[in-house]
Amino acid sequence: MRTLLQLIAVFAVALLLGISSARYMIEHGSPLTTKRVGPWASWVSEGNPNSDPYTKAHLARSGRLPLTSTTARYFTANTDSAGDDLTSACEYLIEGPALNARWWSLAVYDEHGSLIENPSQRFSFNSEEAIRRADGTYRINLASNARPENWLPSGTGPERKLVLMLRIYSPRETDSSGIGQIADDRLPKIERKACN
Amino acid sequence: MQLRVPLLYILLCLVLAGLIHIAAVLALPGLAPKNGWARLVPLGPTNTMIQMTPLTPGQEVMPMMAADVRYAFCRFDLAQGPVRLKGSVPNDLWMIAFYTPEGDNFYTVPGADMKSAQLDLVIATADQTVAEAGVDAPEEADELFVIKSPVQEGLAVIRAPLSGPSRTARAEAALKATVCSPLKK
Repeated sequence: MRTLLQLIAVFAVALLLGISSARYMIEHGSPLTTKRVGPWASWVSEGNPNSDPYTKAHLARSGRLPLTSTTARYFTANTDSAGDDLTSACEYLIEGPALNARWWSLAVYDEHGSLIENPSQRFSFNSEEAIRRADGTYRINLASNARPENWLPSGTGPERKLVLMLRIYSPRETDSSGIGQIADDRLPKIERKACN
Repeated sequence: MQLRVPLLYILLCLVLAGLIHIAAVLALPGLAPKNGWARLVPLGPTNTMIQMTPLTPGQEVMPMMAADVRYAFCRFDLAQGPVRLKGSVPNDLWMIAFYTPEGDNFYTVPGADMKSAQLDLVIATADQTVAEAGVDAPEEADELFVIKSPVQEGLAVIRAPLSGPSRTARAEAALKATVCSPLKK
């Protein structure tokens, strides 16, 4: 009887460990599947027919249809550069240098990946429309209320968590397998300013 | 001996956890009912170009879609023969991407790589030949750009990134004029 109970306990712990570790590696990623630079994470072989089972599981769960990494790279962030969760209760300055690609776009979503309603119908800034400085750098103000320069609204109403996505189409630098490369220092910094 | 029993249990637990971990990861794609394919299927019939309306917050078909990209897609079914995509590409930012139902992006044609502003592609399975499918002149068959699909049913998704508000109407009109239809008349 005692042995049976012990075996049941062993099985329960194994189930918990197995499922939670799988869940973590599918949702959060691991060095095997994702590249992390500061707050930014990118699934390196997302959409690739030869991708590993973790990436395939992540893709199926996400409900998205991304372009494969030889055509485009997607970077997401749900924290600022200091590691604190992005929230509509705070205001952020997103600042980055020019990206070497055909087209890029930085968009904000709620934690479910939905666009955030706002009066100016502004959901993203792309390489064609973001106001840039003479040296090619850009500054985007992520805030609930109107801000000068590039204002990316994080919506009013109850506080919500935010997710940023930087999509980069046709990066001009690639590695030997054709995967678009974005140098670490090219990804924008996300700096928290005032909070309500 | 007193010490070995817990050790045995720990080992058993780790081996079991590993097996459960692997089984969960491999089973998940089949268990995720709302992958991209499942979200697009209800929007319309096969072998028809379906233009997606500009995004409205809360009404998006898939999570994290780009508000500054216009999307159109064709769910192709090659059971009755190859399928042709025809239209014009007003802007070399366009991306025509092909997917399996699992979301594998098996082929992409960047607009910048096209020889002309005309989009004319044929999707066929490995054992289908375009000449047999009823193209009148063999010369025409030679000029067609054929994409070999590893699946009988899949998706062709056109992305038209917007390069400014003034060009939005033009991109939308060009997407609307894009045709997806069986090659055989």
